[in-house]
Amino acid sequence: MSLRETVGSAKCVETAWGKLINQKDAYNFGVRHIAAFSANLFQLMRIIEPDWEKRTAAISETANGFNMAACGGDPDDPYIAAFYDEWNIPEFCDKSAWLGAIWGDSGDEYENMAGRVIQFTRNRVEKELDTCPWDIVGSEMCNMTTGMFTANFDLTSKNFENEVQLNMCEARGCGNRHCRVVAERRDVTGLPKQGWLDHRGEAYFPVHDTPEERTVKEGQIIRNGKYTNAFGEEKSFDWAYNWVMQMGWVWSIQFPLVAMGDMCDDDDEFERLLKIVYATAGKNQFIEPSAYEGMRDFLGVPKEIGRVDSRIMGSYIKTLLDCQLVPCEFTAFEKDETRIHCDCDDFVGRYEMAPLDELVVGYEAQWNSAVKTLSGPELSVWFEGVDTEDMEIVIGKKIDNRML
Amino acid sequence: MLFKEDTVARADAEAVRKNIGWYEWTHDLVEVRGKDTHKLLDYVCVNTISDTPGVSKYTTMLNEQGKILDDTIVTCMAEDVYWVSTLYGPKFMPLIDKYIADMDAEYEDLTTKIGMYAIQGPNSPAMLDALLETPLGDIKRFRMADNKVGNLAVKVHRSGFTGENGFEVYCDRDKMPELKAAIAAVAPQFDARELQTLEVYVRSLPMEAGMALKQDMQGLTPSEAGLGWSVHMEKEFHGKEALEGYEDQYELIGLILDDERVSYEDIAQNEILCHKGVQCGIVRQMIYGYTVEKNIGFGIVDKKFAVPGTRLTAGENFAGLTVAESKKFLV
Repeated sequence: MSLRETVGSAKCVETAWGKLINQKDAYNFGVRHIAAFSANLFQLMRIIEPDWEKRTAAISETANGFNMAACGGDPDDPYIAAFYDEWNIPEFCDKSAWLGAIWGDSGDEYENMAGRVIQFTRNRVEKELDTCPWDIVGSEMCNMTTGMFTANFDLTSKNFENEVQLNMCEARGCGNRHCRVVAERRDVTGLPKQGWLDHRGEAYFPVHDTPEERTVKEGQIIRNGKYTNAFGEEKSFDWAYNWVMQMGWVWSIQFPLVAMGDMCDDDDEFERLLKIVYATAGKNQFIEPSAYEGMRDFLGVPKEIGRVDSRIMGSYIKTLLDCQLVPCEFTAFEKDETRIHCDCDDFVGRYEMAPLDELVVGYEAQWNSAVKTLSGPELSVWFEGVDTEDMEIVIGKKIDNRML
Repeated sequence: MLFKEDTVARADAEAVRKNIGWYEWTHDLVEVRGKDTHKLLDYVCVNTISDTPGVSKYTTMLNEQGKILDDTIVTCMAEDVYWVSTLYGPKFMPLIDKYIADMDAEYEDLTTKIGMYAIQGPNSPAMLDALLETPLGDIKRFRMADNKVGNLAVKVHRSGFTGENGFEVYCDRDKMPELKAAIAAVAPQFDARELQTLEVYVRSLPMEAGMALKQDMQGLTPSEAGLGWSVHMEKEFHGKEALEGYEDQYELIGLILDDERVSYEDIAQNEILCHKGVQCGIVRQMIYGYTVEKNIGFGIVDKKFAVPGTRLTAGENFAGLTVAESKKFLV
């Protein structure tokens, strides 16, 4: 198809150097970086709570509680009614727990967790994933998402409790080829209620394992430009992109952060550790020559631009924020100093109702370290005007005799 | 998804094709009444609407662009009283809202008040006779009649969405457990099966018989969807202006997945269809058909690729497909 036919509708992000990143790549870049922020956060969690069982149970319970709080506990709650309407769930479908799978399937596809609903019956639902952008986070998250997902089933059950047993039998974050979530009705299988750490069990009935040659590399929104649910209702790629850039931060950052607040009640110590973890991630970000060269190519940095140049890190940060749909603009773009203006409310309020102040602390530590390997130790990254609409992210020269 | 080796789904499908299958099949249901009701419905539907009580018609409704908005069964229940049965009631009501203000007509959404069970299969008439107070007699297809199941008042419609002889039994929603119990009580005499698998009766059985859902026809004119026979250009109807002079560009086609492909895990709804590597359409949905013993599907393609036997591929793994002789896979 010629550019003439698509130029009116084609979308992309333009880097500071004029390189165009198409919308699909922008989405993938933005999503993977939410997952990376989450992965760093889970490293911090492993430091403050060494016990795998304790931290996993805590984040699972928190994530489930937040999801359950979406509804007031009334089966006729308008929130649930709207869910049935939005997804065009026919009247002949028994309004019970199994319809929670419709929720889960849509969320997976918005987040490019590509796969398929293997089985969708009143007594059993099986979902298989071939990809997951969050597969770097680790086993605690696989448990947490299953605990969180339990709420989708419980909210749509007749009595708001576990009509199904839900198991993530396989998880990419644990090394499996697929993620596989199976919901099986307890009144049919006789399976017991589950505790928070019981969601990684086996399925009661046999599973279907899709061979590699019939797996997919991208979700429907990327492959086909839209997601279509079991009842034919559709959401566009644009819609999904906007959704994930809000909700991805909520479930994978906000929920665990709330649980971590109970694991460490010393705010100063929490912030100290958070800075160390994110600074470590930043120092490793461009340590490989290929990572440095690859980033320059990705951004379209001209060959004549040398290594120690604030504009390289500045354009990287600006591109990331653009891909994550955060409004921002350059106020300085020079070799020795680059400034990016971003209203702090926009930066921390990816989902407006649940701002994340930790984004400032985490990204400042990470980017300040990353610029050392991307450009050199002479350059630093810091935030000015935090908590104001005039916040600026500064990439410039700084000497600090106690630099981390 | 449905797989060839799924024994429960296969038993469901075989019950309907060879004997009797029954299942809840409640649709959105809107009652329209008043002196101008026939005029109103005849205008929003492309097919002619019967004003004979007990007679129903299959029809589509169009948007201003002449594309299918919904397909539905409209039944004349009594003089100036009609039922519109659809899976998309919330989309039907805004359409009649456009015209109802100037007419002596009103509507009521009966969706929460009326439920329905489908009893489908070649032996279903005998089971209905055992279930009903008054034997069916020679009730014709697309006819509805009052009857009783024990003391329960029901309406029996000879219709269905499986391609088999079958019936739909309506009753008050709060009496559905009573109706279900009555059906379940008589079912063993006929070895009738309560179907377990939604995809069998929503997708597999209808698709084998060439029956599409609204979502399959979305964006098409009736003619492009193979429903040109239902359009009465001699009358006025909503969307007619757009159809006049319109030349079909697309066609809803049947697709058969190559046998060696085994299954369709990588082909979602709206998967891209290609001809010689170039996009020519989209898959609407793939499913396994237990009667035809093939993975079959519907697709929408540029009309020039709708020739039976044309080789296409779907999705990123280039699954091989052939354009079927007909959307109706059952011979």
